[in-house]
Amino acid sequence: MTWNVRLRLLLLLVTTTVLQITVFPDLRFFGIAPELCLVATIAVAFRAGSEVGAVYGFVAGLAIDIFLQTPLGLSALTFAIVGYGVGFVQTGLSQTPRWAAPMFGGIGGLAGGAFFVVIGSLTGEEQLFAWRSVWVVLVAAIYDAVVALALFPIARWAVPVDELAGRARMP
Amino acid sequence: MVVYRRGNRRSIIILLVITAITLITLDVRGSGPLTSLRGGARDLFSPVASVVNTIFSPVGDWLSGIRNAGSLNRENDRLRSELEEFQGQDAEEQIAAAENAELRRLLDLPYVEDADAIAARVVSGSPSNFEWTVMIDRGTSSGVLEGMPVVTGLGLVGRVVEADNNRATVLLLRDPLFGADVAIGAEPAIATGIAQGRTGEDTMTIDLVSNSARVEEGDIVFTSGREEESRYPPGIPIGEVESVVRYRGGIQQEIVVRPYVDLDSIEYVKVIRWPTGVTGDVDEEDETDPAEGEGDEGEEEGDPEAPGSTTPTTLPLTTLPVTSTAGTGSDGE
Repeated sequence: MTWNVRLRLLLLLVTTTVLQITVFPDLRFFGIAPELCLVATIAVAFRAGSEVGAVYGFVAGLAIDIFLQTPLGLSALTFAIVGYGVGFVQTGLSQTPRWAAPMFGGIGGLAGGAFFVVIGSLTGEEQLFAWRSVWVVLVAAIYDAVVALALFPIARWAVPVDELAGRARMP
Repeated sequence: MVVYRRGNRRSIIILLVITAITLITLDVRGSGPLTSLRGGARDLFSPVASVVNTIFSPVGDWLSGIRNAGSLNRENDRLRSELEEFQGQDAEEQIAAAENAELRRLLDLPYVEDADAIAARVVSGSPSNFEWTVMIDRGTSSGVLEGMPVVTGLGLVGRVVEADNNRATVLLLRDPLFGADVAIGAEPAIATGIAQGRTGEDTMTIDLVSNSARVEEGDIVFTSGREEESRYPPGIPIGEVESVVRYRGGIQQEIVVRPYVDLDSIEYVKVIRWPTGVTGDVDEEDETDPAEGEGDEGEEEGDPEAPGSTTPTTLPLTTLPVTSTAGTGSDGE
């Protein structure tokens, strides 16, 4: 991966984190905000594969964990798993469907929310294990699907085609 | 399509999972370096967040205005009529408050209006959908410490759970992790119990209230300060009892409280320097008498910003009587 791409991914990470902690808490629908950093992870993983997706997800999750009351590393673990999973599924696709962004955004958001609740509950965050969490995860997934429409093109900018071609030549 | 060596890919995700689990374990166990690292990172981020907030807050306000246009008009009308009503009551209440304060001084009781408060602005809500917090623009440099109660003119908002140099995170009443010892009803209290947030709901529940207590809808709920180690000073209003359910043969009743403060629209708050609520070094400095400790605390911190940001005397809170500490009926008006 070139330094140019690393810088772009860093810019994407910082921007989404700042927006997530400043702007999006006020842009809630039905009391739910989208998981901008998670969707960015999904978009990057879809574009660059499971390895980059997992690493990006881990760092993005760690960045958002800093601002949460839940244990440090919980979002990092969740996002890394989702990033890895999306990248893994993406490698199995022979061609990119037109509805990839909302579909992966929505399903990835759903999986990410579910992982967060389950892993969080296991780490002692019992308040996560509530019926409302189901509602939160579902609504957030829909919101994530919409936000993905904007973030997938940005991920395409962050990881250009020639970079992907370079990776493909690797042994 | 992207091509990777499978072994390499697997080892990366395994390494990340192990690292994350290690971090979680260390954080749950309360590792000091991790907490400092977290605070430092937030401090580093706060100038950027401030700039972005300044830029985007008009956009957020505008969107919020569109969403709430209808209710804002109705609220304006309601507030105008309430203002007229309150203006009439104001003089009467000032006399009662002065009398109340004098009686308290005579009884040597700690009271919320004796406490210093630090004015702060809410800069953002929680980035998560699973916790109910707000970030305020005052931190340890202004004297804000973990555990301090946070109020508005209407009543309790929550308590500080994390304090960095320039920012602090306030856990709101509605978070399920929030709890406060409360009294129901004015002097004498009908019952006492523990108020807790409900996941995602605008209301709270009160536990540990005996089934025989005559709690009714509309009863006022406020902090009792009953416990010696109470996080909150007595007499801060929280809300009104919205519903009461008693089961035949049950031990305790189900009480739902609607907070006075609209937690979705708070802009300015006050952080009360309440000695028994603070943690760390300040606890040692405060000694035993909360009323005396309040004055000393700000001075001992020796912080240059603290005096400018501190509201020195009374809070626009309440004239509700304190019921718990003395346990007598003589502290009312």
